[in-house]
Amino acid sequence: MPSTATALTPGLSSFLKSLKTNPIDTSIENLVSLLKRRQIRHSRSCATATAYLLLRVISACRTSESVKLIERVQSVGRRLMAAQPREMVVGNIVRRVLGLIRDEAEDDRDAEFALSEAGSESQCQTPRAYDDPSLPLDRDMLGLRAEGSERSSRPPLTSMFSLLSHPEPENSLPSTPGTQSPIGRVPGHGLSKDVRAEVLEGINEIIDELGQVDDQISAYALEHIHSNEIILTHTSSTTVQKFLLKAAAKRKFTVIHAESFPNNHDSTHATVSGNSTGDDENLSFESFQKPLVALGITVILIPDSAVFALMSRVNKVILGTHSVLANGGLVAAAGTRVIARAAKVHQTPVVVVSGVYKLSPVYPFDFDSLIEYGDASKVLPFEDADLVEKIDVHNPIYDYVPAELVDLYITNLGGHAPSYLYRIVSDHYRKEDISF
Amino acid sequence: MRRLGLRHAVGCLWHHFFFRDSTLSPHQAIQGSTERPSQLEIESSKMTDPVDSVPTSSPANAPAQPAPATETPSQQTLPIRDAKSAKPKDPAQTDKPAKGKDASASAGAEADAAAGEKPLSPAELKKKAKAEKAARRVKEKLERDGGAGAAGGSAPAPGQPRPPATPRKDAAGGGAAQKGSKALPPRRGSVVGAGAAVEQKKKKEDKSVAVFGHLYGQQRRTTIAGAGKEVHPAVLALGLQLRDYVVCGSSARCVATMLAFKRVSLIICHIYYWKVETNPPDLLRLSNPTLHQWVPRSPRHMTTHLSHQITYLSTCRPLSISQGNAIRALKLAIAGIDPSTPEAAAKATLCDFIDSFIREKITVADQVIAASAAQKIQGGDVIVTFAGSSIVKQTLLLAHNEGKQFRVSIIDSRPLFEGKNLARALANAGLDVQYSLVHGISHAIKDATKVFLGAHAMTSNGRLYSRVGTALVAMSAKERAGGVEVPVIVCCETVKFTDRVALDSIVVNEIADAAELVSANPAQQVTGLPDPAAFTAPPKGGKPAAPIPDPATSDRTPSPSPLANWKETSHLQLLNLMYDVTPAEYVDMVVTEMGSLPPSAVPIVHRMSTNM
Repeated sequence: MPSTATALTPGLSSFLKSLKTNPIDTSIENLVSLLKRRQIRHSRSCATATAYLLLRVISACRTSESVKLIERVQSVGRRLMAAQPREMVVGNIVRRVLGLIRDEAEDDRDAEFALSEAGSESQCQTPRAYDDPSLPLDRDMLGLRAEGSERSSRPPLTSMFSLLSHPEPENSLPSTPGTQSPIGRVPGHGLSKDVRAEVLEGINEIIDELGQVDDQISAYALEHIHSNEIILTHTSSTTVQKFLLKAAAKRKFTVIHAESFPNNHDSTHATVSGNSTGDDENLSFESFQKPLVALGITVILIPDSAVFALMSRVNKVILGTHSVLANGGLVAAAGTRVIARAAKVHQTPVVVVSGVYKLSPVYPFDFDSLIEYGDASKVLPFEDADLVEKIDVHNPIYDYVPAELVDLYITNLGGHAPSYLYRIVSDHYRKEDISF
Repeated sequence: MRRLGLRHAVGCLWHHFFFRDSTLSPHQAIQGSTERPSQLEIESSKMTDPVDSVPTSSPANAPAQPAPATETPSQQTLPIRDAKSAKPKDPAQTDKPAKGKDASASAGAEADAAAGEKPLSPAELKKKAKAEKAARRVKEKLERDGGAGAAGGSAPAPGQPRPPATPRKDAAGGGAAQKGSKALPPRRGSVVGAGAAVEQKKKKEDKSVAVFGHLYGQQRRTTIAGAGKEVHPAVLALGLQLRDYVVCGSSARCVATMLAFKRVSLIICHIYYWKVETNPPDLLRLSNPTLHQWVPRSPRHMTTHLSHQITYLSTCRPLSISQGNAIRALKLAIAGIDPSTPEAAAKATLCDFIDSFIREKITVADQVIAASAAQKIQGGDVIVTFAGSSIVKQTLLLAHNEGKQFRVSIIDSRPLFEGKNLARALANAGLDVQYSLVHGISHAIKDATKVFLGAHAMTSNGRLYSRVGTALVAMSAKERAGGVEVPVIVCCETVKFTDRVALDSIVVNEIADAAELVSANPAQQVTGLPDPAAFTAPPKGGKPAAPIPDPATSDRTPSPSPLANWKETSHLQLLNLMYDVTPAEYVDMVVTEMGSLPPSAVPIVHRMSTNM
């Protein structure tokens, strides 16, 4: 899983470095080839790279006409997605940027309209906000809060009543990290500001979100992990590790860690033992973190095959994921599906922790197309060459886990039932961008 | 089968006893028995053959392969044992308390005990052996002093695989050497280099997983040192082979045990009648006055004697259900022998019993099962199987030979990778084989039409007790998306049926050495050893054997695993389970030699087959 090892090896960090100096087209080519060669892996690395690239693309655009911006982003986005269709976060980020541009464009229109009609800023509420104002996760609310946190002059919009009584939003709540999902646009405030600047600001917020999403998710840890619990997890997901670490600061529990051989076992071993071997790029753009064992948490490392045997003693299964689909299903490291299935059989709750950026509006009509196959030599080393020639070795990297196997999603916005995810999708992505 | 002349048998026995010759190893025994040349799922027996066939007359350059081979992992596991020996022993497993204690005593204790026994062996043979040994040790010490530095810290001392009789002398003379030998690198590739250092650390923290505390009770035997002198050499060798998964798989273990016991019973019979006939063979009289301890006074004593062997075997690796069933049947047979039966007849009876047991319960049973299960395979099928079951292999090969066109998808798991051997066998036979690991279950099962599973045992409540991971495969077959269930067919001889019941995989299970999980590489099965010659070269597996596996393993692991010193990492535990229990509802059919049954019929069939 080489993603960002050093500047010498192509990866996220070298890409970000080169982004400032290289011309746009070179950078796009660069990212396309990185994605194709799988030199950028991991959802977050891909998302970060995409966001930075789009930032650069938009800032290099010499137009503030939203239609042209959308066209430009779409064309870049198509190339990136074609380069690696299974990294769905790339598409997610592109869609969110497109959504940003469209929102800004609409705001401009709305604001003009509002100015001409009432000259008030209350028009920043799009009709959607009135659809279901009690939902704190509504896109416009989020937008407002994000915006509010910048300006800290608007009250939170928590009810219809507050909408009516405080037509002018101000923020008096300290913006909790979990409620921040910087998708929203800055509504009609700066009429004079051009769309481009607003969009750039929005992208920067997305980048910020990517940076803090794990911490935001881990803020919910104490709500979900009780003392002396036995938790089973899989792979070396940093999101899961941070989640558990947060809980470990306050509570004692036991973690059973399936090692996810053969694709991720090395970094899993490194994660549980705290000995980074130097090639666990997984942690590379995190500050080095303590392993759970350092906090006195008992970690039991098991081979993947022992999951069923132990599941009857497990209280909760916490899984990381590669991407989450609109139907509530998820694409995660291979082996996740049997773990989730075994948990279902034992009536053990399955919790998936995932940043909202992994939530994809794609509906999985064809499950097989989501699955990527990896290096077969990890399954059967070429030392067994006589065998490798004769048999068909499979090393799937991902599993599709249907929504019914998941009990709860925890994103940076809070906990959701799988059946609710479609709503978050519609909050984050514009309908017209879903298949761009 | 092969009836050895009395004198020959006894002569051989003592020869082996002192020179640790390996011709008595079950391998050869297995190969010698014409009924089961290839049905054991241990490819390994072939691999060790060259060693087995080393001429017995030159003990000096023909060390027993099993002994040194198995010695090395034992060295590595010994520290673990020391650390854990604070835990109470599993009372259930030590039906001979004194023996059990003996078995799990530390090397030092053994040394003391052995030293005490030393004066008891004045026989010429022993003296000669001792002199040889001493000379060798001096030589080895010199070599070690010269070459240990190059070998690195991990292998500072020679392995001293000893013949069953020699530990006494050895311990008396070379306690230091014995201690040093603990640091030898392990056999199966899972090198924990700093063996000695680890040993101290572990005393601080219990590395056993709390839920499985009851399973850690009895530590596995690490060497044949300290085994009671009642234990037959064939059994000694078998014990180590069992422990190292050389003999692996329920049927194979059962057959190997029975064949070893066949040799034991030859001796038992002989000694028994020697006492009665008052005309002992010269060799016996000469060789060992302690022999009187062997002499049973009635058939009941013969079963007692057998229990020594059994206890020893169970300290090497917990007995399988099939072994237990076989032993029970054997004891019954021994008890049934009339004490007045002439010697030859009694021996013949026992040997015949063992032969027919193996034939009926396993060899022929396997053929019947394979024939019946192969009927279930149709052209175009996609058969999923898990790990490497010998009976499933037979079934698939039979179906292939019948001309059916089907695909086999093998799912394998760490750390044993048993499926690899199955894949190799099937691919060599020309089958279309697909191979993936546990993480690919849901992909492999997607286009499966049938699932064939082997069994370690079938419990009385219809659950399948088999290699860990089996339950995941069966579950996936039953819960496939789209609602189409895949039939799960278990192939199991009735000798593997047990009247025990199991609800989960935690109460009854077996814990293997956690160090096997440390290496990222496939665990080094003894079959895949780089060069068995390395172990045969030094006399009695002495010092030179030690460094050789070391570079071999380090070649394979260029960078040390992050888990390399997991034992020093507090709160980190590794769990290496051997079996899991598959719920009965996941099993559609159990194919046995008595017919194809639903899992609910297991207790009935078990009762029928044991009440014969």
